Amino acid sequence: MNAEKQDYKVVVKNLTKYFGDLHVLDNISFNIRKGEFLCVVGPTGCGKTTFLNLLTRIYTPTKGDLYIDGKPADPKKHNLAFVFQEPSAMPWLTVEQNLRFGLEIKKLSKKEIDERVNEIISLLGLEPFRKAYPHQLSVSTAQRIIIGRAFAMNPDLLLMDEPYGQMDIKLRFYLEDEVIRLWKKLGSTVVFITHNIEEAVYLAERILILTNKPTTIKEEVIVDLPRPRDVTSPEFVEIRKHVTEQIKWW
Amino acid sequence: MSRVKTAAMSSSERKAYYLNRLYMILPVISVLLLLLLWTTASLNSDFPSPVETWNRLIELFERPIKNKTIIGHTLASLTRVFLALAFNWTFGIAFGILIGWNKKCRALFTPLFNAFRAVPPLAWIPLITMWFGIGEFPKALTVIIGSIAAVVVNTQAGLSNVQQIYLDVGTMFNANVRQKLFQIAIPSALDAIFAGVRTSTSAAWMVVLAAEMLGAKSGVGFLITRGMDSMDMPLVLMSMAVIGIVGAMLAVVTQFAERLICPWTRKRSN
Ligand SMILES: Nc1ncnc2c1ncn2[C@@H]1O[C@H](COP(=O)(O)OP(=O)(O)OP(=O)(O)O)[C@@H](O)[C@H]1O
Ligand SMILES: [Mg+2]
Repeated sequence: MNAEKQDYKVVVKNLTKYFGDLHVLDNISFNIRKGEFLCVVGPTGCGKTTFLNLLTRIYTPTKGDLYIDGKPADPKKHNLAFVFQEPSAMPWLTVEQNLRFGLEIKKLSKKEIDERVNEIISLLGLEPFRKAYPHQLSVSTAQRIIIGRAFAMNPDLLLMDEPYGQMDIKLRFYLEDEVIRLWKKLGSTVVFITHNIEEAVYLAERILILTNKPTTIKEEVIVDLPRPRDVTSPEFVEIRKHVTEQIKWW
Repeated sequence: MSRVKTAAMSSSERKAYYLNRLYMILPVISVLLLLLLWTTASLNSDFPSPVETWNRLIELFERPIKNKTIIGHTLASLTRVFLALAFNWTFGIAFGILIGWNKKCRALFTPLFNAFRAVPPLAWIPLITMWFGIGEFPKALTVIIGSIAAVVVNTQAGLSNVQQIYLDVGTMFNANVRQKLFQIAIPSALDAIFAGVRTSTSAAWMVVLAAEMLGAKSGVGFLITRGMDSMDMPLVLMSMAVIGIVGAMLAVVTQFAERLICPWTRKRSN
């Protein structure tokens, strides 16, 4: 049991969540390996965001357990970062201050913060907006702040809730490659929620397909394709079609 | 000149240009209209005209009342206002944060505070006079009582309406309660707090005049009482004009300070 836990970054056991009478998650169990890139797809309102919120203890489970690194999930103990679905850049901070925010909360040295923030700013092309406030930016630029804020933490567990939904294709492709690069470099574990099946197949090592509420796991799809992936290759298209087929029933 | 500038514009741009001009001119027109009305009203009556009022201002410079010109009296009123506001902005904001952030404190203090808020500041004057006489302190105290509620109410509203998502960001980064309060809740409430600062400033300016009318040896409110007692209507009108102008200037100053301190509240400029 213990040995098994050590290979897993996240262990989800019989997880059930009710909001009042609303049955959202129904006795879900699965594991996420250390260093795995997991994509989660599921119908609107099935509880994807809720699952991430349970993992970060923003919500508490009705029943069941969540373990990170073999210990009950607790953001105090783990170096995790969360890219929220809704805009969550602090409106009172400039782009740069937003990127520093998490690092300052964690009380890193100023030198370290400067370095990481500068790296993120050039990585995400935010240099022209360094001193701008979020409300002065387009939705997709504001979303880049949130992504940068999460990347800057060098998290070993990165949770991303439809991070690229608002972006145009070019930026999305770029940031998809960036998240892969970061994942490889840091060896972090990534949980990536998306509505975009092509995106899921492009990124994931494994795709979790969820059902409607009350939500269970409908299927796990292993995506064992070499990277960088070619979205036009027959193998890729086949997996994409299979996943699309599975979710037609939503 | 304006012909040349507008020539290159499309018709809708030109319209916007002239509208902008109009918005700049309209306030001037309203002031001129007021002066005109005022002059007509004073023509065939005892009511002092704008010119008489202006002359009264000059006369006050030549023959100060209680050793003070209008500047001295205005400064006397403003000093009381800023003493009171300094207290309010410190303790009012602190109290507002306390009851906005801590639900227990809110439950404990809200009923009392609401009752306190319902009593008009002038109703306190008899008690204050009985306890503290008629020096400077009781006047500042009246102003404090009259303007602290605006600070507390706005601060409390700002703190209790912090958007959950920002606190969630704090949770995710493992911020402790102090960090959530000082790095998330208070900054996000700053614009609400500033609304309180603005309202309290105008409230304090009103209450100080009322407090001075009820017994003072200086201040613009005192000038009004003095004018009334000696049937010196130009003095009354002159003081009223000064009150209006200083009040408007205070509003501009606080607005400017808000832009300086909370630059993110400035809307996207076109
Ligand atoms: N705090 C809450 N209180 C009550 N109900 C909630 C709460 N949060 C979520 N829900 C409900 O739980 C269900 C799942 O919500 P959730 O946001 O997790 O869905 P989702 O899968 O992320 O959907 P989407 O694809 O739209 O992002 C929804 O029906 C939602 O209304
Ligand atoms: Mg969601």
